[in-house]
Amino acid sequence: MDRLLRQLSQLAITVFGIVTVTFFLVRMIPGDPAQYMLGDYATEEALATLRAQLGLDQPVYVQYGLYVLRAVTGDFGSSVVTGRPALEEILFSLPDSAILAFAGLAVAVAIGIPLGILTAERQGSWSDMLIMIVALFGISFPVFWLGLASVLLFSQELKWFPALGASSGGGFLTHLHHLVLPAGVLGISVAAYITRLTRSAMLEVLGQDCIRVARAMGVPERRVVWRLALKNALVPILAIVGVTFAWSLGSAILIEVVFSRPGIGSMILKAVSARDYQLVQAGVLVLAVAVVLVNSLLDLAYGLVDPRLSTR
Amino acid sequence: MPNKAMPNLHPVAPAAPVAPATAPRPVALELRDLTTVFPGDDGPVTVIDGVSLAVRAGGTLAVVGESGSGKSMTFLSALGLVAAPGRVRRGEVRIDGADILHQPPERLRRLRGAVISMIFQDPLTALNPVFTIGEQIVEVLRAHQRIGRAAARARAIELLARVQIPDPARRVDDYPHQLSGGQRQRVLIAMAIALSPKILIADEPTTALDVTVQAQILDLLADLQAETGMALVLITHDLGLVARYADDVAVMYAGRLVETGSMEEVFTKPRHPYTRALFRSIPRLDGPVDEELPAIEGQPPNVARLPPGCAFEPRCTVGRGRADCCTRRPLPLAGDRSGHRSACFHEDLPDRKEAIR
Repeated sequence: MDRLLRQLSQLAITVFGIVTVTFFLVRMIPGDPAQYMLGDYATEEALATLRAQLGLDQPVYVQYGLYVLRAVTGDFGSSVVTGRPALEEILFSLPDSAILAFAGLAVAVAIGIPLGILTAERQGSWSDMLIMIVALFGISFPVFWLGLASVLLFSQELKWFPALGASSGGGFLTHLHHLVLPAGVLGISVAAYITRLTRSAMLEVLGQDCIRVARAMGVPERRVVWRLALKNALVPILAIVGVTFAWSLGSAILIEVVFSRPGIGSMILKAVSARDYQLVQAGVLVLAVAVVLVNSLLDLAYGLVDPRLSTR
Repeated sequence: MPNKAMPNLHPVAPAAPVAPATAPRPVALELRDLTTVFPGDDGPVTVIDGVSLAVRAGGTLAVVGESGSGKSMTFLSALGLVAAPGRVRRGEVRIDGADILHQPPERLRRLRGAVISMIFQDPLTALNPVFTIGEQIVEVLRAHQRIGRAAARARAIELLARVQIPDPARRVDDYPHQLSGGQRQRVLIAMAIALSPKILIADEPTTALDVTVQAQILDLLADLQAETGMALVLITHDLGLVARYADDVAVMYAGRLVETGSMEEVFTKPRHPYTRALFRSIPRLDGPVDEELPAIEGQPPNVARLPPGCAFEPRCTVGRGRADCCTRRPLPLAGDRSGHRSACFHEDLPDRKEAIR
């Protein structure tokens, strides 16, 4: 209970930090939003009126104070482009991005963790080296390159999967069909990272005394690796998954652009080019909070895995 | 520089000789010419060199020597547990007369824990921190037997009771960090004896524990041995423990045996200059309080760069610079009918006696 409270207060502090950072980051985007919205031929008066409407004529600290006060009540202002509340816009497109990020992460975990264990088990063998080289390539190739290459191969050449969109009209299967390629690309690029980190976590555990003891007692190697060692490695592996969740959200944004899928990524991209401050702020905030939330949940999960962490 | 080889001897007189058994008990474990190598920068490094040893059923063999002398590695080799890239190059490990080393890994796996078991130096790291002690004992039982979960758990509680863990039915669900160091070593012993092995190898089982707990753990091992008739190999650098618990002693230096024999023989008539130097570095209760203990001169050897002859020669006060026979090649163990054997050319040199004091 104590632990939960501490976790929650940490969460509150982190969110406040994110609110602050996004505010100032967005203010650092070059260009005047009023100018951008009204075009190059707008009159000085029109610009001044719009700046006053947006509150941009106030000093930055006043803008910040108002922004924080409104943020506490959940009000992030309205999109200057659509006029709808920014938070609403973002939350509306959150499910698309969340589905992609989680599907990608699921693929990454399903591939990366078993491969990491297998390569740790066979450290130094040719299969270990081969997988590690492939994983290195997976990390080195940018995700948008993988995305474009897979569109060329699987959509253009083989015509197995659609190249674009998320099929807003179709049923579950159509959705799934549209999801396979982007989630696969995202998953494979993140899997490479998870594989390497799982391997090193497992190697460290497999070198520990308690593993030698289990072997000395005749516990079969399969049990030693997949049960006794794996549970020990689970805390670092969970930490890795938390880190890669942030990464897969970030990659999901790129993937959304490559595959022209709807989602927060595409929305933020458009908002940045339109200098839609409110929308960018809300979007970055929601993504950051999602990452923090997932990591807090994982922090709580450590206690379930490692009894030494739960009794403290 | 403080010498790590210096034994930490409590002044314990050698125990009275055990009454000789009417018939010699059968040999439970025998190592023959066991040799283990690791790859090094200039070719393979021999870390265990031709070790031959035997332990009789119900008997206790103490293996002594300084850190890095190959005591633990000898028995990890015997269990087929040498970590890659090391490997056993030569030799046999015989249990009941049959070699166990040259057989499929799965057969060897079935012997480990069931017929020959090992406990280790540091009970703080030897237990798996994320499983309860009950789960860990059950894991060992189920590695060797077809036994249901409930039955295995009941057996685990029995075993905990047998190693004198108080309130075993409750402690069985504890995690290792909830136990004291001595209790953890008891749990490890419970795991090691779970399948009534014929041979138990205890690798410095009490080094990490405080002195009062040391005695409890060793007495527990001695009791279990008396009950089951298992052979015990006690790896230690504590000569006090050797005097108290061992029947036979093997002294190792730089991966080789330098002296073996019955405990009384080796303690009363040590032959090898290294063994004698070990005994000289023991504090005596009747000596002056501020007596400075003689340390063995020089550095423990680097097994990757051993001299061609006797490994102890560079530090030896008897043979150094005296005869080129010491530097030509290592000497095999040789001895008399009593079974007391040593690997030194200079056993008959007159100053041997004065060295003993």
